[in-house]
Amino acid sequence: MVFNSLAFMAFFAVVLALHALPLPWTTKKINLLVASYLFYAAWNPPFVILLWVSTVVDWFAAQKLVHAQRPVVRRAWMLLSVVANLGMLGYFKYGHFLLENFSDLMASVGVHYVPPAWDIVLPVGISFYTFATLSYTLDVYLRRALPARKFLDYALFVTFFPHLVAGPIMRPTELVPQFESPRKGSRRQLQFGMVLVTLGLFQKVVLADGFLAKAAEMIYDAEQAPGALDAWVGTLAFSGQIFCDFAGYSTIAIGVAMCLGFAMPDNFRFPYAAVGFSDFWRRWHITLSSWLRDYLYIPLGGNRHGEGRTYMALMGTMLLGGLWHGASWTFVVWGGLHGIYLSVERQLRQRFPGYQPGPVALVALGLLTWTLVNVTWVFFRAHSFSKAWSVLRGMAGVNAAAPILPTMYLATTLLIVAGVVVAHWQMRQRTLESVLQRVSAIPLAVALGLMAFLVVITQGSGSAFIYFQF
Amino acid sequence: MRSSISSSDGTPGSGAAHPDFVRLTAADRPGVAQPVPERDIPERPWGAIWLGAILLAMVLIGAWELHWRAFGVTPGYANTDSEWAQQRRRIDHGEGNATVLVGSSRTLFDVQLPVWQQLTGERPIQLALEGTSSLPALEDLAADPKFTGRVLVGVTSSLFFTGFAYRGDAIAKAHKEGPSRRISNWLSMHLVEPYFAFDNPDFALATVIARQEWPVRPGTHPRMAVRKLSNSDADRNTHLWNKLVTDVGYRDLARRIWSQQFTGPPPPAMDTPAKLEALEQKQIDRAVAAVAKLRARGVKVVFLRAPVIGPYYDFEEKIAPRARTWDKLLARTGVPGISFTDYPQLQGLEQPEWSHLSEPAARKFTAALVPLVVSVFQQTPVLAQGTGPR
Repeated sequence: MVFNSLAFMAFFAVVLALHALPLPWTTKKINLLVASYLFYAAWNPPFVILLWVSTVVDWFAAQKLVHAQRPVVRRAWMLLSVVANLGMLGYFKYGHFLLENFSDLMASVGVHYVPPAWDIVLPVGISFYTFATLSYTLDVYLRRALPARKFLDYALFVTFFPHLVAGPIMRPTELVPQFESPRKGSRRQLQFGMVLVTLGLFQKVVLADGFLAKAAEMIYDAEQAPGALDAWVGTLAFSGQIFCDFAGYSTIAIGVAMCLGFAMPDNFRFPYAAVGFSDFWRRWHITLSSWLRDYLYIPLGGNRHGEGRTYMALMGTMLLGGLWHGASWTFVVWGGLHGIYLSVERQLRQRFPGYQPGPVALVALGLLTWTLVNVTWVFFRAHSFSKAWSVLRGMAGVNAAAPILPTMYLATTLLIVAGVVVAHWQMRQRTLESVLQRVSAIPLAVALGLMAFLVVITQGSGSAFIYFQF
Repeated sequence: MRSSISSSDGTPGSGAAHPDFVRLTAADRPGVAQPVPERDIPERPWGAIWLGAILLAMVLIGAWELHWRAFGVTPGYANTDSEWAQQRRRIDHGEGNATVLVGSSRTLFDVQLPVWQQLTGERPIQLALEGTSSLPALEDLAADPKFTGRVLVGVTSSLFFTGFAYRGDAIAKAHKEGPSRRISNWLSMHLVEPYFAFDNPDFALATVIARQEWPVRPGTHPRMAVRKLSNSDADRNTHLWNKLVTDVGYRDLARRIWSQQFTGPPPPAMDTPAKLEALEQKQIDRAVAAVAKLRARGVKVVFLRAPVIGPYYDFEEKIAPRARTWDKLLARTGVPGISFTDYPQLQGLEQPEWSHLSEPAARKFTAALVPLVVSVFQQTPVLAQGTGPR
């Protein structure tokens, strides 16, 4: 179920009540596990089986590899986990894509091959929980961590509903220890957790769904080629939408976990204030970028085997990171562009070591970073390359096209996106908590009450979060 | 889980922990087991803050509710995809032999289920969708072997023969609706919709803001979206909102909104007579195929043209003249049809915005319609396999 639904409100109220009862800790954990399965089953009950498969395979593989003496045996158990998880992900997420590309490849050499119909529904959140469980066996294999002592703790780590379907992608060492001793949300945790939930809902329901989604749709889902203003505003709308949607989700997830007494890591750190692309990736979808760094970039050699290998590792990581988002070449191009940006930035840093931008240069470089990130969003949002080129041509001012967006969408998009960017710059070296600490109670109450009011009157239709499709 | 720290490697283009951030994340700790996150809570009087916030939100929501009630809105059930799906599921849950209504808003607003029930003892299942050709729903019923009852198919010429389906997605969504949406819908129908007038997409914040008098951007031709026109009951029995009868300004607005489609160039798929006729032909072919499936199962079918007057009637006759569309549909499918133009008792009723009947008129219309429908169903033989539409 989605966080922005009445079903979730009822579900969460019941979970909170059960968690507050004076029950043994094991019983509370079983309650949370059952609740998490119900949370997942509320989309499509049979897909719970996939969660079980992923959970059991990785538990078993980690137990076996930690007791194995010979390196080859350890490696075999690790590979079993990787193959099982990536196999499941590949079948459900990339099966159709692979078949289509195989068919195109055959056609290019003159062989007519019609792939069988592929009517497989993508299980929601599969990319997230397979990465979470993979990090468990990989951490054990890499001797970064010991396996969980109890199956219940491990199963709850995989399934814990706040992070299950769209992250933050948790590492076992971040969450399993929290299940080892009794936890209950304190009154302050409940109160501040609900502040985060309200803030996240405001971002998702009001900003992303209420205002920005429509402007992006009008440009990206239209047949008409956009002119310069429309192409830029449509892209900025998506840029704001995807941030508010995904950061909103992460904020709600963190708030929900906090209400229950658990801590989850930040997934965003005001990314539109990034200066440079390595900075951007330390601020955007942090738990994915650090996962890719730790389990892909570093194993590919990282920066330890010379310049050529470093760039290959970088590009490989970003291309696969792009593909993780969706089974489409447009996502690969999105990742590839980020790989190129990071490579160029690395070269520049080597050429100008010790360069420290002044205040004006900092803002200019920040704006350049933001602008180039917006260019990549075109490939992320467009459903085809032809649409992406059409929007890019528009952004370059090449399309002589009739206006598309009415004044209201121009005004609201520019206002919201400007607000987001300015807020990110204000917050770029702060945390939300450090700022709230300095705000007096009345403005906080007014802001919170207004956000709650706007969430209610925006009347979200319970639309899914963008990242659920990944 | 115990963790240990291994050797680290630099992030792409970075290095060790970033000193500026108050709180470190995995981005600052490459290649190591990540520790349990720490989340600080600002030292503020959160209890008092929440109390103030809840009071403020309640006052604002109350004011918003009063504003819409003053506008003439009363709480009612929403005409959502989930509520359509709920009615559609009745066929799967033991009511496969029922009478089902498919069509667009004229079928939805003009056919009153309580009147039908009074006259026949049966309350039909209302599956009409506004702004939507009845064909997707008819095809859906045709593909469902559980449905063996009777179906009244509303035909709004400008939608049916162009295949326009504003809410066509509702059908696919209904078939894959998971427990979460069903639970949310149940909660909404029991805890929200019967009590809050503002809970209507027409009064959602973004819609209200979009509706304000924004300066027109040169080169754009913004069209006014259709406003709230109806009120629904829990089983989708729906009637025209009384404000369209009592508020002349609102009625005129509704007429102006309809008028937008009467002028201006046709869409690219219909911009030549040949394209338009091909489109009509395609819709009739779809109807023929769906009817053949239904009649093969013994389902009785009747088409209905509900009343339309004034410029709206002229518009529909212009783009879909009866001889080329309605008459051909009946001839090709071999299904009987009831057109308001053929029955004096279905004419002369109050239609404030030309397209839909007022609530009292809809009751009269239904009372006049039901005997005609019953008679058609009684006279329709159950066709044997292999006979029927041409």
